[in-house]
Amino acid sequence: MAFEIGIMTFGEITKDPVTGAVPSPRQRVRETIEQARAADQAGLDVFGVGEHHRSDFAGSAPTILLAAAAEATKRIRLTSSVTVLSSEDPVRVWEQFATIDLLSAGRAEIIAGRGSYTESFPLFGYALEDYAELFREKLDLLLKIREQNPVTWRGRFRAPLVDADVAPRADGATIPIWVGVGGSPASAVGTGRLGLPIALAQLLGPITFHEQTVELYRAAAAQAGHDASALHVSINVHGYVGRTSQQARDVMYPYFAQGMMENNHQRGAGFLMSRLAFDAQATPGAGLLVGSPQEVIDKLLAYHELYGINRAIIQMGFGGMPQKEHLAAIERLGTEVAPVVRREVAARMKAGAPA
Amino acid sequence: MTATPVLDVSAPSAPVAGTPLRVAVVNGSPSRQSKTMGLADVILHTLGQILPVEASRIDVYRLGPGFTGAVERDEVTPEVEDALRSAEQADLLIAATPVFRGSYPGMFKHFFDLIDQYALANKLVLLAGTGGSEQHALFLEHALRPLFGFFQAMTVPVAIFASSGDFDGTLLLNPRVHGRIEMAFADVADLLKARAGSASKQATG
Repeated sequence: MAFEIGIMTFGEITKDPVTGAVPSPRQRVRETIEQARAADQAGLDVFGVGEHHRSDFAGSAPTILLAAAAEATKRIRLTSSVTVLSSEDPVRVWEQFATIDLLSAGRAEIIAGRGSYTESFPLFGYALEDYAELFREKLDLLLKIREQNPVTWRGRFRAPLVDADVAPRADGATIPIWVGVGGSPASAVGTGRLGLPIALAQLLGPITFHEQTVELYRAAAAQAGHDASALHVSINVHGYVGRTSQQARDVMYPYFAQGMMENNHQRGAGFLMSRLAFDAQATPGAGLLVGSPQEVIDKLLAYHELYGINRAIIQMGFGGMPQKEHLAAIERLGTEVAPVVRREVAARMKAGAPA
Repeated sequence: MTATPVLDVSAPSAPVAGTPLRVAVVNGSPSRQSKTMGLADVILHTLGQILPVEASRIDVYRLGPGFTGAVERDEVTPEVEDALRSAEQADLLIAATPVFRGSYPGMFKHFFDLIDQYALANKLVLLAGTGGSEQHALFLEHALRPLFGFFQAMTVPVAIFASSGDFDGTLLLNPRVHGRIEMAFADVADLLKARAGSASKQATG
């Protein structure tokens, strides 16, 4: 698998901390599709839409946005990032992604996750206490639907299926299903046992944050007899590609701090991330992918060396990054960063460096 | 019935013969779907591969008003008395509890407040705990071990901690925790074998 670089969004609807303006939901869904088009034209490999069920995000129905993106793009792969599978019906998930796959001539992908936000559970009538079991069971059904049609299946959380015809089928041979993992050892082991590709979510912290996750994932996969070369690892991380090191940090900081204020609470209230703390996250030893094109190239190659990743998906719109700056960063990521990283990784692979 | 007998916990793959070790698990979790008991299951399973085990479990949150209403030992109901005795007479006590408000829950402490002062002296006690994150791990050393220090019990040197991320639901998946359990028992394997049935002999003789 060649190295892939992409972007993802939740369709953030955040008050601009600089101008005070709040974009309308209509504006944000249009901008989301425009980002997909820009990413496609810049030669990026993946466009992802995440799922949040809140007024400050436009992405409660990622499949609809991905379907619209399918019409606006030609080559880029289209993925959820993530589908909160625990509160979904896997039959419906399959139908929707298979339809996107047809619309896009085989470009649909799914990242299935438990969800770091839990608003979807009460919305769709699920109990949080079943968090782990819901995910296990629904992933099992989704994989079975992908594997065979008609399908016969029985579980605890939905009616059984007996010789059920689940259509349409994928445009090509299959639809990739990744599992989104936040870093819990149990999720890493569970994903490894199934031999599924793993998408590591990293918010902040050291670049080595997922060392144990990846180690456990690969060990569990090997123990279950899965071919190591078929294991795909993706890092999904926040970032921003600027013109220069300083410009990237200056542009990203106020928006990222705003996003953190609204989404990461301590003692039940948002807190202001200081510029000092932000700059620390931008150093080579930390995971945040912010900086000049060369800095982002270096950090992506460091991720590759650490984890053997073959995909990176960067969220650049967190905290309401204005569209103009967002599009400029997409352009730089696609034209200045991605070609170099792909070439370097290919050279490493040829030289027999870690897969 | 307060001290629930646990069904065959010894590994079916490795049947081991001899006098069974009487194990009492004191469970400090309020949850019916409990990570703490998920951890205890793995501990009992591992133990069952070393020697035959006869395990019972005391859920302190299910002992009822005959327990919560008792200030002194002579005020408890007969069922609660049975539960206290099964802990006092075990060859190995497994103290398994989640961390709650910075320590073991009050209900768990209440059980040990009713235990006879010298009943646990020199008794093998394995400490096992769960918490929402790794940051709670040392509650085993700073809160739970001193409790058994008071009783002059013989706590197993390695205590077992697992955090929420180590579980898929109540199923323990982190192999490092499995490894730590094996290490804890390997350290005291000779003692466990020597003590199998010894506490019951003392109790009846």
